[in-house]
Amino acid sequence: MGVIDLDGVEVRLANRIVLDNLTGELRGQAIGLLGPNGAGKSTLINTLLGFHLPSKGKASVFGLDACRDRAQIRGSIGFMPENDSFIGNMSGVRFVRYMAELSGLPSELALERAHEALFYVGLGEVRYRKVNTYSLGMKQLVKLAQALAHGPKLLILDEPTNGLDPVARQRMIQLIKDIRNEGSIRLLISSHLLKDIDETCDEVLILKNGRIASLCNIEEERRSNRSFIEMDTVGATESFSVSIRGLGCECAIFPGGRIKLVIPENIEARDLYVIAAEQGVQIRRMNQRRDSLEDIFLRAMDNEQGVNVQRGIANGRL
Amino acid sequence: MAVYKRNYTAYTGTLTPVWTRVLVLARYAFDEAWSSKITVGLFIFCLLPCIGTLLVIYLANNPIARALVGVRGQEFAIDAKFFLKIQQTQSWLALVLASWIAPRMITLDLADNALPILLSHPISRFGYVFGKFIALFGSLSLVTWLPCLLLFVFQGYSSPQPWVMSNLQIAFGLLTGSLIWIAFLSILGLALSSWVKWRVVATGVIFAAVFVPAGIGAIVSAVLRTKWGLLLNIPVMMSNLWQRLLGAPAPFGDRFSVPTLAIAVMLSLAILVCVGMLNKRIRAREVVRG
Repeated sequence: MGVIDLDGVEVRLANRIVLDNLTGELRGQAIGLLGPNGAGKSTLINTLLGFHLPSKGKASVFGLDACRDRAQIRGSIGFMPENDSFIGNMSGVRFVRYMAELSGLPSELALERAHEALFYVGLGEVRYRKVNTYSLGMKQLVKLAQALAHGPKLLILDEPTNGLDPVARQRMIQLIKDIRNEGSIRLLISSHLLKDIDETCDEVLILKNGRIASLCNIEEERRSNRSFIEMDTVGATESFSVSIRGLGCECAIFPGGRIKLVIPENIEARDLYVIAAEQGVQIRRMNQRRDSLEDIFLRAMDNEQGVNVQRGIANGRL
Repeated sequence: MAVYKRNYTAYTGTLTPVWTRVLVLARYAFDEAWSSKITVGLFIFCLLPCIGTLLVIYLANNPIARALVGVRGQEFAIDAKFFLKIQQTQSWLALVLASWIAPRMITLDLADNALPILLSHPISRFGYVFGKFIALFGSLSLVTWLPCLLLFVFQGYSSPQPWVMSNLQIAFGLLTGSLIWIAFLSILGLALSSWVKWRVVATGVIFAAVFVPAGIGAIVSAVLRTKWGLLLNIPVMMSNLWQRLLGAPAPFGDRFSVPTLAIAVMLSLAILVCVGMLNKRIRAREVVRG
């Protein structure tokens, strides 16, 4: 059982298909939800929360039907919406306590957890101020605090770094990493910022026009994709290139001893140094580059079919 | 865990039953409504007629006090008509209180777009509205059927004759009439407040919703030479209903009399419209058209 299971989910809003036949199983500790504006990220989150009912298919969270068992799901989820969403004339601590009580915490424990959550996100000193006097960054943090206070099993963050300055953004990213590393909470982070997802997530679901463009484990994806190496060499470049082709590398030689090659997964840079030493070739510079999340994202966006099964098929997860 | 220790720990304690979450909403809504000094002032103002009535009942049942004040006993007939006046007064004061409290309960949530966060918790849209309804209904109870019944009990206690058993219909009328009125006011107040983000405007809209249709109804009655326009006149409709429930004589005569069934249908229709308005407005997300 995954954290989130999607089985042919289709959501229609105003007779328009917003999510189209989403199928997949999300298992990661921190799952990134990527896609351009209008791809359906927020709609998928709203569907998981039971705000939208699928017109076809089924969405499950921790094995619970998002439609039938929505009260149970909402009890085990902490949700931080994208836009401003709070009660402005309440103090921070009262607001977080209120939300914790709605999630089922007894009143006194809710108050205690509200204080803890506000200190945890760094709003301890301003917790008695009214929420509508908070800055934008503080409002983001108070939304995170209310999502955390009741100890959810899944934390859904919709554009958590929206509108934050670089320092506040870094603080938010660090908080998300801390929560992920603590290990008791799974995270679903929706963003259109690749960097945020890259820094915090181990699995990514990329949506395009309401369809799954890619579903992959970021680390596995990086490892499985080809590595490019660029070298400046001095010495017997020709014979060196013949030897490294023998390892299975694709290789191109340029004037001045410059070599560009693509190495297979089982070859490390160390193997190249060994061959170079055997043939008396000096490697003066080596630049290795692996696929970034940006490459993965752009490939998914380029996919005309809109469905890139990639690693998912190999893992039997898509 | 001390609050200053900045590390996250999962909650492992007990949870309250799901049905009690509605009461959490009601409690916070009640707190919000009564945190205003104006609410407290209005509440005191709403109780002033009851204090006056209390004195009248005391005088009516105490010949020595009457002699000291210098009034005759015939001027104080404590009957269904007397209680109808009290109920009417308290009910219209309840409208004033509702028009102030209802917007405080719901427009603050809407102004800051709190519904996505509130409804992402294990509480349904019905639960949300019901929680607010309980708070408003409870607040209005404090100025309607509760003081009215206390006055009834006081009259029963003060009367030298066995008064209570022969006038039980008054108690029934006070309770039923007030419950119908404050339930209607609560749902009307919440529905209208949910469509207006500004509190002051919402207050005005609630008053307008009660009195503007009465004007339209009067025009309809005059133009069509019929009395059915009275079905848009909430004050007349409610007065008819209260009078029949208490068993008092008709306050406006037959000219302003409307069948009870028609009143019940009109109130039901109005409540259905309010429920429709709430259903349309109380959502976690706007559905984008087009």
